[in-house]
Amino acid sequence: MFGKCNNPHGHGHNYTLEVTVAGEPDPVTGMVLDLSELKKILEREVMQRMDHRHLNYEVPELAGLIPTCENVARVIWNLLEPKIAQGRLHRVRLYESADLFADCYKERSNDVKM
Amino acid sequence: MRARGEVKIELGRRYRFAASHRLHSPALSDEENVRLYGKCNNPLGHGHNYMVEICVSGNVDPATGMIANLADLDGFVEREVLDAFDHRSLNDEVPAFRSEVPTTENLCREIFRRVRAFPQAKLERVRVEETSNNSFEYAGE
Repeated sequence: MFGKCNNPHGHGHNYTLEVTVAGEPDPVTGMVLDLSELKKILEREVMQRMDHRHLNYEVPELAGLIPTCENVARVIWNLLEPKIAQGRLHRVRLYESADLFADCYKERSNDVKM
Repeated sequence: MRARGEVKIELGRRYRFAASHRLHSPALSDEENVRLYGKCNNPLGHGHNYMVEICVSGNVDPATGMIANLADLDGFVEREVLDAFDHRSLNDEVPAFRSEVPTTENLCREIFRRVRAFPQAKLERVRVEETSNNSFEYAGE
């Protein structure tokens, strides 16, 4: 099923994380969210947890999950969403390589299939 | 079934192929074709290195952590799209472009028609970059 990705010794990626926050620009600052605030959140919630770590063993939020691109993106969404105090988290895109990525976003109302 | 406000996950995968085409509409005169398509109307055609981005959605299988088996998606796209388009003349070798002008808009739609049959996940969107400066997207009707 997993091919080379099943190597017992693991393997690594240089992930790229793209985070999009949506909202009305603040009338005073002209910003949806202060970029330095977003950087701090990303550093604290994602980089300190995951950068140069073994995703299978060192990230409690991934315990019991296979660290596929889909699952890691979902965990990052769950970590970030409650921390975005201004605007709202619109999309998390996690690139595992230049040719493979997973997107997480809230279901848009016109996508809802009831 | 997914309730409003639930988090949706999509998987995006990029592929590349090279192909030639000529933009020429039988509905227009030769002069009008030159005016409309410019260099792209060159009678002997010209080529591009295309990049195709396929986005699929579905439930993440708890057993595998995946929306769809990537090797299966790669195999499907290779069979249905890359084998048929790579290093080919789109006008002469892809049946759809005997009647449609092989613009990248129509190319997106043709790729969507071909990948829509992938059985493991729902095809959300096809995006094609003809060059690094122009890209087109098709998300179905």
